[in-house]
Amino acid sequence: MDALNVEKLTKKYGDNEVLKGVDLKIAEGEFYALMGPNGSGKTTLASIIVSVRSPSGGKIEIYGKKPEDAKGLIGYIPQESFSSPILTGKENLMYFAGLLGYSKKAAEKIVNELLNKIGLSEDANKRVSNYSGGMRKRLEIATALFPDIKILILDEPTTGLDPSARRKFLGLIQELRKEKITVLLITHIGADAELASRVGLIDEGKIIAEDEPEGLKKASGLKDVINIETATKSEKVAKMLSKFSEKKKVLETDVGYRVYCKDVEESIPEIVRSLDAIGCKATKIETEKPSLEDVFFKLTEKMIREVS
Amino acid sequence: MGQITATLGKTIKEFLRQKTILFWTIAWPILWVLIGSFSFVENVPNEVISYTRGAIAVSMSVFALMTAGMANLPGNIAQDRERGLLSKLMSMPINPWRDFVGRILALLAFSSLAAILVTLVGYGCGARFSYSPIGLLQGIGFLLLVSLASAGIGMLIGTFIKHVHGAIMSGVGIAVVTAAISGVMTPYPYLPWLLQQFARTYPISSSSSSITFLLVGEDYAGYNPLSASQITFTVVISLLLFAGGLVAYSRFCWKKE
Repeated sequence: MDALNVEKLTKKYGDNEVLKGVDLKIAEGEFYALMGPNGSGKTTLASIIVSVRSPSGGKIEIYGKKPEDAKGLIGYIPQESFSSPILTGKENLMYFAGLLGYSKKAAEKIVNELLNKIGLSEDANKRVSNYSGGMRKRLEIATALFPDIKILILDEPTTGLDPSARRKFLGLIQELRKEKITVLLITHIGADAELASRVGLIDEGKIIAEDEPEGLKKASGLKDVINIETATKSEKVAKMLSKFSEKKKVLETDVGYRVYCKDVEESIPEIVRSLDAIGCKATKIETEKPSLEDVFFKLTEKMIREVS
Repeated sequence: MGQITATLGKTIKEFLRQKTILFWTIAWPILWVLIGSFSFVENVPNEVISYTRGAIAVSMSVFALMTAGMANLPGNIAQDRERGLLSKLMSMPINPWRDFVGRILALLAFSSLAAILVTLVGYGCGARFSYSPIGLLQGIGFLLLVSLASAGIGMLIGTFIKHVHGAIMSGVGIAVVTAAISGVMTPYPYLPWLLQQFARTYPISSSSSSITFLLVGEDYAGYNPLSASQITFTVVISLLLFAGGLVAYSRFCWKKE
């Protein structure tokens, strides 16, 4: 039986159609990442699955049940940090245990186990306001790990975390896979989605491609990508680099640009010369394997996340 | 533990650990009890000074209940919505009514604590009361009406004002202004005619006058708020405010988009 089955799901706000007939199937124990830019409909889809929003049309089944009847099977972690900062980590979890109807004794036992699992036993009695962003996220994920929960739905869980906290958090998700929990990860970060067994790319309310991460890259036809870090970024630099890129499109990143060439080896020296000619200093040029963000760019000609 | 106990425990801990809540609900009324008990009684004859202080303690206890219901409750609701907790709760197998009952019980427990502390400080400042056991019970009943009406206004604020600070400041503003112009803070006889009519209509000041009448004496209430029609009006409007707040909270805060 599928853990999650979504068929022809639509959502409209007035004339604005946010979801345009989404089909999605996730098998039990699968780790599925839904990746798309802001406004693509991924959070709307997640919130409909967890009964926070109503669909305009279509069907959702969670282990064969309607979402309203399957609430006890879902552990949902919204984008915002919902834990109470003035309660301790343990008090926050005890609150959720109480909401789920556990007796005080049973709640104590489960909460201590959960704190141990997420590595917060030693900080359990500290107020959450004293936690780092990563600790707070781990605490919040524990609210979705009470027994009986079979599907974990994580909406942009690593946004705002520093690289170390992000890796720790993703490590925790990998650990959970051993317990056969089904995971639906909503993200706009390609590196996070790479960890999934299957990735769906969503754009303008539709899933435009779906496969294993390597399968998506292969199907995109992308080979190596030139990653250029520059001291400055400008329209002029982007325009110059676009001459070397397929379809004359370059992906702007936080620190420079990504260029998609057919012949990487031949292009690099020419790119260096051209950058010099326009007075732009490249601090780093390297070739990389394409990322899922590159695949999304190739398919839609859109950047998946805004650059800073 | 059930949902009600869990929500009650969480909410009351949040009330007791936030300095702004403690200030507006407990420290501010106590400050006014201290100021009022010593500065506002210079021209009061010695034989009635302790009852004047009693009336001040009652007024400020009512004010404590007003800020608890009108500012703390909406602040708590807005905070839970702003940080995504309400979305999280909507995704869980939770009965919204139990969440609501837990919040209201926490509010009543915290309000009782605030009122007791304010009254004890008043007593320490020399406030005295004159009441019968039945009068005391009736007074507690009117305090409950103050809490319910304030909670109703608070739920309306918490439902429609989305931001935490906006909700808290709106609640504090409404509590301070209405207390000042309705006879809770200003003695009823000193109010102009129009505001005296408002004081009789506004269920919180009407309940406040009833408590003063029952626990301190008729002279301090300024009028008889215990006529059958006035009591009926106060009870009905208080319950309507509470019901209105409840309907707004359950329909809009827990509504699926």
